[in-house]
Parts: sequence; structure tokens; C-alpha cells
Amino acid sequence: MLANFNFMVIFEYLPLFLSGLKSTFLISLVTLVLALITGIIACSMRISGIKTLQYPAIAYIEIMRSTPLLIQIYFLYFGLPSLGIVVPEIQTGIIALMLNSGAYIAEILRAGIKSVDQGQIEAGLSSGLNYVQRMRFIILPQALGVTVPPLLGQAIVMVKDTALLSLISVAELTRSGQTMTSERFMPAEAFLTVAFFYMCIYFCLKYLADWSQRKLIFREVY
Amino acid sequence: MIEFKGVNKWFGKLHVLNHIDLKVQKGEVLVVCGPSGSGKSTLIRCINKLEPIQKGEIIVNGMSVHDSATNLTKLRTEIGFVFQQFYLYPHMTALQNITLAPVNVKKIAKAEAEKIGREKLDRVGLAEKADAYPAQLSGGQQQRVAIARGLAMSPEIMLFDEPTSALDPEMIGEVLDVMVSLASEGITMCVVTHEMGFAKKVADRVLFMDEGKIIETGKPADFFDHPQTERAADFISKILSH
Ligand SMILES: Nc1ncnc2c1ncn2[C@@H]1O[C@H](COP(=O)(O)OP(=O)(O)OP(=O)(O)O)[C@@H](O)[C@H]1O
Ligand SMILES: [Mg+2]
Repeated sequence: MLANFNFMVIFEYLPLFLSGLKSTFLISLVTLVLALITGIIACSMRISGIKTLQYPAIAYIEIMRSTPLLIQIYFLYFGLPSLGIVVPEIQTGIIALMLNSGAYIAEILRAGIKSVDQGQIEAGLSSGLNYVQRMRFIILPQALGVTVPPLLGQAIVMVKDTALLSLISVAELTRSGQTMTSERFMPAEAFLTVAFFYMCIYFCLKYLADWSQRKLIFREVY
Repeated sequence: MIEFKGVNKWFGKLHVLNHIDLKVQKGEVLVVCGPSGSGKSTLIRCINKLEPIQKGEIIVNGMSVHDSATNLTKLRTEIGFVFQQFYLYPHMTALQNITLAPVNVKKIAKAEAEKIGREKLDRVGLAEKADAYPAQLSGGQQQRVAIARGLAMSPEIMLFDEPTSALDPEMIGEVLDVMVSLASEGITMCVVTHEMGFAKKVADRVLFMDEGKIIETGKPADFFDHPQTERAADFISKILSH
């Protein structure tokens, strides 16, 4: 089957794929930073113990986790303009991905914080450390160790989710495959190439995840 | 130094502390014992407000513990707390565990705090373990570091919640030895323990609790040899048969 592939076409379209790869990479990077911020805020609200902060955070997290990402993207894509808010597709897409990933990140962070023994927090309390000091010196250094690998896992999921933005005509990697398909009708070649580039990103992130895990586990054993 | 005035506490429907009245004098060593679930841990955890209370008042050093106007940080720096499970911070060395609160709560300069920290480690016989992580220490050593961590704040009161119950038998002695020498230095101590030897040696008073009530108090020799109540006699015969 591979013998029938027209590799020349792929080379012809390489600049298109590379620009698609570039925007997938940039969208992912921007989304990841924003999603981290969103996740930190949502997690802080969720564990604050203050009901007026807690309930909105829980509602946000559960809505994001219980509905398909594609629906969330469409909701913003068609919903925002009907509210009179007009933003370019690419920003709509980034907002949708940010909100979606942010909810998962909030839960990853919360699990990390909860993994720290309550007794150590009481030890901190009884020596007079305040909330910020307990977070900074006791909880976060330990929580970070257990959160980094699942955060990178979430980053991998998020990169692949950017493919859905092709459906609201954002010019990213999957969209370049669609463009080539519609111009030349060679879907197999087009999407094989697209898949190959996603795999490249995946293996880079996976390498990072494995490396961080080794580092962190090593730290646990001392 | 510590005074309970009509203290009541509930966990839901469970009446864990049932009208507790108690005075602990400066320099006194009080041993608290009683069956599991009788409220011993809850009693001493109320002293530094690890637990809220619903009725009554606790006064420590003239400060009303559960009054929201009380400076809780100041109160807690005057009270050291040693847990059954040690609860050292696993990502810090022994010395870092000890200097964390002096540097950040008492705002003592780092070099000075480390000097105090090393003194306290020496005090519990672990001078050479300053740079060891908790995972590299035995249970007895970890508990001694935890005691040094409490001492580094120069507290007037030390609270111990079953400090030797999580230890292998051969390590109990080394921890008790440290506590015995502390008792002779005049620190006010409240110790939840079933170590009768320790109680007889250093306690000024033994307090026996059951079902959230103080059933009996007395000098250790009187309490262990001639308990006044049947419940206490029953309890003592049980710990003796171990
Ligand atoms: N956070 C809590 N929520 C609800 N119930 C609790 C809580 N902490 C303790 N209790 C209950 O309160 C009672 C007294 O507990 P406490 O830990 O003070 O007993 P104890 O005398 O220290 O027992 P042990 O010897 O087992 O340590 C127990 O019945 C326990 O189950
Ligand atoms: Mg207890």
C-alpha cells in the first residue's frame, strides 16, 4: 500500500504542513500557559474552604469534565457572536481549550496538594506557620513532585485536542491535511503526514515526562 | 499555665470532651491515660487549637485559646507539639525541619537558627544527623528530631500525643530518655502515654480519662497502685498484662 503513496505531493505541500505545525505548536504553548493559570486559580478557589469561591469552581470543573470538548468549542464559536462578542476563530479556539484543560489541571493540582499528609500540615500549624508559609515550604515542594508527570500527560492530551480547532477553520496542522485533501484528494498521504507530526510532538513531551519522573522519583528516595 | 474551664466538645453527636475542668501548673508534668477513643488526643489538641471547642474556655499563659482576638501564632510558638507519627517534613533535612519555624515564624537569622538547631539536635543525641533526611532515620531518631523541632522554638509548654506508640520496642527507651531529661528541666509537659515507667518516674500527676470525662487524677504511685475507681483499676490491669 505504501508503494502506491505519492510522496512527491507531501514534499510539495511541506511548507503548508510546517506552517500548520508551527501554529499547532504556538496554539498549544499559549493554551498551556493560560490553562495552567486557569487551573491554579480554579484549584485555589476549590480548596479555599470559602463557599462562595468553592461552588463556582466546582461547577466550572464539573461542566468542563462532563461535556465533550467539541461541544464546548462550538458553544463558544456560535455562542459568543450571538452575545455580540466577536473574536477571531483562533482566539475562540484557545479560550475553549484553555477552559477545558484548566479544569483538568485544577484537579491534578488538587490531587497533588491532597497527597501531602494532613499531619505535616498540622505540624506546620502547631509551630505557628501561616497559610502561605505552609503552602510554600511544606505543601508545594512535595505536591510539585507528584503533579509534574500528570501535568505533562495533560499537555499531551491538549496538543492532540488542538486538532478539533480545524473544525472551526483554524489553520493548524490538521487543517493543512484537510486543505491538501480538498485540493489533491489524497487523504491517506495528507493525514499520514499530519499524524507523523503529532507523533513528533508527542514523543518530545513524553521524553520530557519520563525525564521529569526519573528526576522526581530519584528525589523521593534521596 | 494551662487551665480548662468547663470545656465541652462534640464531634457530631459524639460528646468527646464532657465538661473538663483542669489546671496544669508551670513546670508540672502531667500524664494523660485512658482507653482508646476516650478523648485524650482531643484534649491536648485543644490546647494549641488544633481542634475547636463548642463550650467553655481554655486559658494558656493568660491567653484565651479559642477567643478569635487571641494572637494564635504567638500562642503556638509557646507550645511545642509532638505527634505519634512524628510528621517530619520528608523533603527537608533534620536541621531544615528544625529551623523552618524559628526562621519564618520567629524571624531568627538563619545562621543563629542553625546554631540553635544543632544545639537541640545535640540535646536529643543526634548531632551527627543534621543533614540526614527523615527517610534515612529510624523511627526513634525521627521522633527525637521531632522533639528537637519543638524545642527549637523555646516553648514553655510541650505537648506529646503518644510519642512512643508508633515505635518498635527497642526504640522506645531512647525517646523516653529525652523526655525524662526534659521533665527535669522544668518545661511544662502534657504527655498522652501508657508508659507506666515514665509516668512513675517523672509525672507529677496522672489523669485518667474515659468517654470524654476525667475519671480520676492522682500522684502516679497512688494512681497505679491504688486506683480509686473500678474503671481505672480495670484499665491498669489491662496495660499491665501487655
Ligand atoms: N475529626 C474527627 N471527627 C469525628 N470524630 C472524631 C474525630 N477525631 C476523633 N474522633 C472521635 O472522637 C473520639 C475521641 O478521639 P481521640 O482521638 O481523642 O481518642 P484517644 O483517647 O486519643 O484515642 P486513642 O488512644 O485511640 O488515640 C473517638 O471516638 C474518635 O473516633
Ligand atoms: Mg489518640
